[in-house]
Amino acid sequence: MAAPRSCGLWRYCCRGWSRAAGDCRLPGFHRSWPGATPSARLLSQEKRAAETHFGFETVSEEEKGGKVYQVFESVARKYDVMNDMMSLGIHRAWKDLLIRKMHPLPGTQLLDVAGGTGDIAFRFLSYVQAQHQRKQRRQLRTQQNLSWEEIAKKYQNEEDPLGGSLVTVCDINREMLKVGKQKALDQGHTAGLAWVLGDAEELPFDDNQFDVYTIAFGIRNVTHIDRALQEAHRVLKPGGRFLCLEFSQVNDPLISRLYDLYSFQVIPVIGEVIAGDWKSYQYLVESIRKFPNQEEFKEMIEDAGFQKVTFENLTTGIVAIHSGFKL
Amino acid sequence: MVTLLLRSLRPHRSLPLRLPLVVDVPFRAGSHGPRLLYPGHIPTTSLQKMLLAAGSAGMALYNPYRHDMVAVLGETTGYCTLKFLRDQMKKDPEGAQILQERPRISLSTLDLSKLRSLPEGSLGREYLRFLDVNRVSPDTRAPTRFVDDEELAYVIQRYREVHDMLHTLLGMPTNMLGEIVVKWFEAVQTALPMCILGALFGPIRLRAQNLQVLFSELIPWAIQNGRRAPCVLNLYYERRWEQSLTALRDELGISPPPKHIQGLA
Repeated sequence: MAAPRSCGLWRYCCRGWSRAAGDCRLPGFHRSWPGATPSARLLSQEKRAAETHFGFETVSEEEKGGKVYQVFESVARKYDVMNDMMSLGIHRAWKDLLIRKMHPLPGTQLLDVAGGTGDIAFRFLSYVQAQHQRKQRRQLRTQQNLSWEEIAKKYQNEEDPLGGSLVTVCDINREMLKVGKQKALDQGHTAGLAWVLGDAEELPFDDNQFDVYTIAFGIRNVTHIDRALQEAHRVLKPGGRFLCLEFSQVNDPLISRLYDLYSFQVIPVIGEVIAGDWKSYQYLVESIRKFPNQEEFKEMIEDAGFQKVTFENLTTGIVAIHSGFKL
Repeated sequence: MVTLLLRSLRPHRSLPLRLPLVVDVPFRAGSHGPRLLYPGHIPTTSLQKMLLAAGSAGMALYNPYRHDMVAVLGETTGYCTLKFLRDQMKKDPEGAQILQERPRISLSTLDLSKLRSLPEGSLGREYLRFLDVNRVSPDTRAPTRFVDDEELAYVIQRYREVHDMLHTLLGMPTNMLGEIVVKWFEAVQTALPMCILGALFGPIRLRAQNLQVLFSELIPWAIQNGRRAPCVLNLYYERRWEQSLTALRDELGISPPPKHIQGLA
């Protein structure tokens, strides 16, 4: 892997240069402005430091948010179709695995950030409903010698098929939320859903509110990943779990080459043919390459205050699920 | 196909992918940077062009309202033909002027009030009528993106903007039938692979009664006129607004359209 200093540089980039102004750890910066006074150096560091990556482009941090917003605004309507086409339907298995790993019990309060079209939220609701039904059936089985009337009454009394579970879907993009709400209606999910427009770096929720925080394929689009992780830590209850499903690095060299070939040659073409949008999908595959690998992201999560951080590779590392606890 | 794959894999071996600040994935088609030949240019590899051509052809057949797919098909398959067309344009005096001055037909360059004031039967007035009746606008043409030569990108852009002129010249409406007739004319005139494919496969989407008229009258008429007329890309339409449409048709050798088309589709 890369040498320690370049590792630090890489982490630097990913954190959006947010510490560049005050942090004099890197000797390189001192050397590049030898004659400047400290205050001027600070200013020029800050100005240069407000840059980040948008795919392989370099943009200012203010710009990145707007550009990402435009990308998702334009892909929102074809988002699910494109996901199926690009991953050949495998993204459904990934999301199912995330929920299975979460193993939510009825009564869980879930916050799904960047969850626009609701894939995770709907799976959560179905899972929790199935769990609740199983719990009910188990309870009934343990109670012996119940008459039919009593059993029927038990089922009729059931007011909340979800057992108190609630999922809050938070997304910064109005179009994605619109698509999600429409999907909820189409699929018949009426209860247990809340849709909130919000920024992952500044969540509109109080501290210690949620049992589980998930972010699926969203965190690489955030300008300041460290801030998003800190917000995740803040809104989780003590004992709460952080789960992140995201594209990651493939270690096997042959699969990596095939994956790159597929990503850069085929995916923008599919984007153009199906959604009429080459550039958004070019951004998507580039942003995957810019995201830190499994180990580095794990360290970032630990830095935000999470404990027992682990990750699990899916599909040879194309996707990874990172998990951490607020203890 | 395999050699293309191998060729794209080979340079990859020499570049590590995990350099922190400078990342250069070799076969990424750079959508920003010094390799852009004109605004809106997206450089593509041959593999991408092949996939685009196949995908856009399929999508255009599946959903004929995806005009952008027809445009992409034209751009990805037309490189050699565009070169030939450009050379032809250079040989003709009017065509050479067009290549030099690069006029564009769009709502911003057209003087609509002046066109409306022209006498009935003039090219400008009839063109405007065509736009109004069919409720189309010259601005809906997608800009060229996948042609890897700046002059050829203009040639295909000009071809697209002239397409509406051809509708006016041939008197064809913008429904499926009219579009196919114009495609046949263009296929004979320009030999662009996209026109040929469109002409051959477009009729798949037509109803039987239209097919009958198409094959018996419209296609032979389109082919005849296509062969007789000189290259339509060589006409400087912006200078001919006042010219009467019938006079222009006579000049090009285009006979009046069959009357049947008016009542169909």
